[in-house]
Amino acid sequence: MRRLHRVGLTATLIGGGALAVVAVTSMSRGAEGPVSSGLSWLGAATRSIEHWARQRIAGPGRAEALSWFAPMRDDVARLRNPDVILLGAFDTGIPQTLDGVVHLEQELGTTFPLIQLYAAWGDKPEQRFPRSVVGAIADLGSIPMITWEPWLTDFESARHPGLLLPAARELHGLAAVARGDYDFYVDTWAREAARYGRPLFLRFAHEMNDAYRYPWGPQNNSKEEYIAAWRHVVDRFRLAGAHNVLWVWSPHVAYEYWELYYPGTDYVDWVATGVLNFGPIAQWSQWWTFDHILGPKYPGLASFGKPVMVAEFGSLAVGGDRVDWYRKALSEIPARYPAVRAVLFFEVAADQTVTYQKVDWTVAGDSVLAATIRQAISPWAPQNDR
Amino acid sequence: MSRTDASARSGTAAAGDLWRHRTVPAVRFRHRLVLFALTGAGLASVIRLADWWFRADHVAQPVLFVILSLAFWYGIGRIVLGWVNHVALVRTEHRAAPAAMPVAIFTTSAPGEPLAMFERTLAACARVRYPHQTYLLDDTRDPRFREMAERHGAVWLELVDVPGAKAGKINLALALTSEEFILVLDPDHLPFPEFLDRVLGQFDDERVGFVQVAQAYYNQSGSFTAAGAAEQTFVFYGPGQMGLQGHGACVAIGANCTFRRGALESIGGHGVGLAEDLVTAIRLHAAGWRSVYVPEVVSRGLVPEDLGSFYRQQLKWSRGVYEVAFTELPRLFRHLTWRQQLAYLTIGTYYLSGATMLVMITIPYLYLWTGLQPATMRFAEFLAAAWPVAVIGACMYGAVQHWLVDPKAERGVHWRGLVLKVASWPVFLRGTVLAVLRADVPYIPTAKRAVRGRFLRLAWPQLALMACYIVTLLQVGFVRAMRTSEASLELSSEAVWGMVGFATLPILAGLGAVYAARQAGRPAERDPWESVDVTMIGGDA
Repeated sequence: MRRLHRVGLTATLIGGGALAVVAVTSMSRGAEGPVSSGLSWLGAATRSIEHWARQRIAGPGRAEALSWFAPMRDDVARLRNPDVILLGAFDTGIPQTLDGVVHLEQELGTTFPLIQLYAAWGDKPEQRFPRSVVGAIADLGSIPMITWEPWLTDFESARHPGLLLPAARELHGLAAVARGDYDFYVDTWAREAARYGRPLFLRFAHEMNDAYRYPWGPQNNSKEEYIAAWRHVVDRFRLAGAHNVLWVWSPHVAYEYWELYYPGTDYVDWVATGVLNFGPIAQWSQWWTFDHILGPKYPGLASFGKPVMVAEFGSLAVGGDRVDWYRKALSEIPARYPAVRAVLFFEVAADQTVTYQKVDWTVAGDSVLAATIRQAISPWAPQNDR
Repeated sequence: MSRTDASARSGTAAAGDLWRHRTVPAVRFRHRLVLFALTGAGLASVIRLADWWFRADHVAQPVLFVILSLAFWYGIGRIVLGWVNHVALVRTEHRAAPAAMPVAIFTTSAPGEPLAMFERTLAACARVRYPHQTYLLDDTRDPRFREMAERHGAVWLELVDVPGAKAGKINLALALTSEEFILVLDPDHLPFPEFLDRVLGQFDDERVGFVQVAQAYYNQSGSFTAAGAAEQTFVFYGPGQMGLQGHGACVAIGANCTFRRGALESIGGHGVGLAEDLVTAIRLHAAGWRSVYVPEVVSRGLVPEDLGSFYRQQLKWSRGVYEVAFTELPRLFRHLTWRQQLAYLTIGTYYLSGATMLVMITIPYLYLWTGLQPATMRFAEFLAAAWPVAVIGACMYGAVQHWLVDPKAERGVHWRGLVLKVASWPVFLRGTVLAVLRADVPYIPTAKRAVRGRFLRLAWPQLALMACYIVTLLQVGFVRAMRTSEASLELSSEAVWGMVGFATLPILAGLGAVYAARQAGRPAERDPWESVDVTMIGGDA
């Protein structure tokens, strides 16, 4: 073989090999390999074919009830400043099924524009961007709201030799996030969110000012570290082109100094908090009305000039009149809390996150309560069935 | 592939090639290095897979999880045992046969077996070069057999009404003869002139009780079934038995084993039963006799050409192999070396795959009809954990094909063999159940001539499974279109259609079996031996 041919052949082989590598790598998505990517593409294709086939057979379905919401649903600017109160819910059936949400809707005579889900940071497959749930929620006509919890210890040391050992990660963990130590993970979410493309609420590191709940609280991190981490994460998403994400900043207003954790007006789209009445079941608690809980804090929340979200809304049944609690709360919201633009039911039957015993927040199944709520939200046109 | 293509492929040039004596290449240091490396890597990847599989998170329904794990790890276990076997692979060195060893060839005829086939077998026996005496052990009561035997210089022994089928006749003939070495030749096998010269030298070692040669066929291109059945044996009669030889556990199986009279006598004669060869081998091993495997093509015979015959052969073998596992192995266990114990355990549990296939087939239906599932494993994760095992397994499968006795004809992916094996699960399962219940399977000699099988009788289990599949598909379609809420549809899509995909794989194998069953409905007009010219047999490739 002549020298030119040899050189040519070698160059072709190397070039071909390089192209093959690029092709195979580009089939993958970040931490997901090409095989997994191919499979999830196949899964997504199956889902959309089935959704399409169902629409052909059974008609438009739930999305039709949200047609009033359709223009707003894909308009990030309008979602930053909505002119109606958006209802929503989280249900423990997620991510296996959204039936629980639909069941609640039927009882309340409404169709929720927002559906909440919780996602923790980590290596496991269920800790990746929840593509299928997000897609399913969108196909049902709603917008997903993901509460995104930075559990830093769920990353395996073996796979991430650059990280500290799990036991050492939580102290100043948010500083590490801000430094970019977790960009390998944040970036995959950012890319996925950008790829999804439609509006999406992200409630990142909520209740950051509560020192007793989550590791991203003040027991491990300073306010400055929290703000730096928040801004870093938002910047990574913007860098990836995920301008479709609406950032929901969500302090726990029962604790002091929550205002000091505000990451800045350019970095926040919505301000949120939970309004949950635990009643007298815990020592630290008593029967508080919606006004008791939110009233004193509302001016502060509204002062940021952003729409306010009640991200977890509910009352237990023990120690007071639950029906009355909901009636008052819902009838007061439009007039007394005009900045509140979203209320999300917390449909959890056995919640143990705060208390030692399991507590039941569910509304579905209590027909008197359901009728009351239905009546209370009926003036909130246009989202309710009449 | 159509029938005409298949026969065209075995045209005269290839057919001439078929009848040459062949041996396998030597096992060199670098080969062994590759086998060791692959086995090491394979074991590591199996451990990795196990580490992933047996996570408590994966258990969805404990009982089902145990059943699924047993079925799956039975399969993986067999793959690993195959690797461990291949690592020990040796090629027995040829030893020249000393002159004047007294040797007999026993071949048996039974009522209904075709005379024309024996014509060729006996002619081929007469052409075997090493001086020997051929005996025809006959119970046909057909005078033409006697005439034919004598014409070919064989001694005709009429052994009618002997219990114990073929082995019974052999034992009776042992008493009537005196040769020290006996080649038990299957009547459908045509020995090459070289046969005894390649074998007898191994008996130089006084401890050697029997010498087994490779088994090869001349009708494997006759039908889908023949091709598949032959493909299933290719690796076993090359690297498989060579590995067993390396472990001191090569077995007498199939056909054409040469025994030392003293060895047979020490165990009270040739074993009787549905797996008489295997029974004899394990008893000889337990009695301390050594075995030698000669990986050479020195004869060719017939493989079942129609699906019915293949199923009958498999049923008979399964029952026989279990007999070894249930009866001989426990009795003789402590007389065997640990490698022989392992080898016979491996062989004795081959047909369990019928039961494990049933488990694998049932799982998707169970899920699709009841929602029950054994494990919460993501398919993508399973692939990520299992692919190294699959890739290394495939590499090993490719690597050991170097030692196939007839590489040109036998190399390949052997997909027909796989299809036939997967589709044979009802037969394997039946053999397993019969063995556990100690029910009898009548001794039927493997058909020498393609038998016209009734399509439905052969294909009904596959057709039933296909009907079940179609009904399930309709049910899934109906439920998903009409009964599944919109809010659940997309979130259950991957799981449901993934399971449907899983249920489709055995259906594809079933299609192969249905095709084979249809082919069995119209057997070839010509018997395979008609085109064989005995004078052309032999000589080196």
